[in-house]
Amino acid sequence: MKQSRNALIIVSILSMTFILGLIGVFRAGYIPKGLDIFIIALTVIAAVYALVVYLKQHKDVKSGFPAEDEMTALIKYKAGHYAFIASMYMWLLIFLFKRLFPDVETMLGSGILMSAVFAIVIKSYLTRNYHADQD
Amino acid sequence: MRTRIKELRAVQGMTQVELAKRVGVRRETIVFLEKGKYNPSLQLAHAIAKTFNQTIEKVFIFDAM
Repeated sequence: MKQSRNALIIVSILSMTFILGLIGVFRAGYIPKGLDIFIIALTVIAAVYALVVYLKQHKDVKSGFPAEDEMTALIKYKAGHYAFIASMYMWLLIFLFKRLFPDVETMLGSGILMSAVFAIVIKSYLTRNYHADQD
Repeated sequence: MRTRIKELRAVQGMTQVELAKRVGVRRETIVFLEKGKYNPSLQLAHAIAKTFNQTIEKVFIFDAM
């Protein structure tokens, strides 16, 4: 239950930040394009994923299941481990091709959001295809 | 590792959801256990065996080590 509450807080903060950011961007008369749209798209993916996970967990907890058990915790740790390794290679590539980014903020923003997307994709994959014998 | 969870469940007329609730795990964990895709902790193996009134080695079969 505590985990569900934490997920709700994170989703609320993410959503509020995203909405306030969008309002700020549009009020300033700035139209995002290229990499900016990419960053916004990644943020939306991360926020939607967090919301879906929260709603599923909330439903399960109401049905009498735990929000997390030993297998889901193991998958989470493994996904974190793989996402960390993938992120290290991604940051290496980002620094190699840093000239492609218009500024440092965009470069860092893209990198951080891609790390989050890596974690989401790897966790989703492991949740469906985990096999202890393949460790 | 193979398990007899599905077989024992069928004998007792127990669903995956009921077993999951009894041992305090999510239904996906029972699905993965039945398919032999997840090796449970000793604590969970004990809880499942106890639910079926069996010993751990009669529920979880280790073919090769």
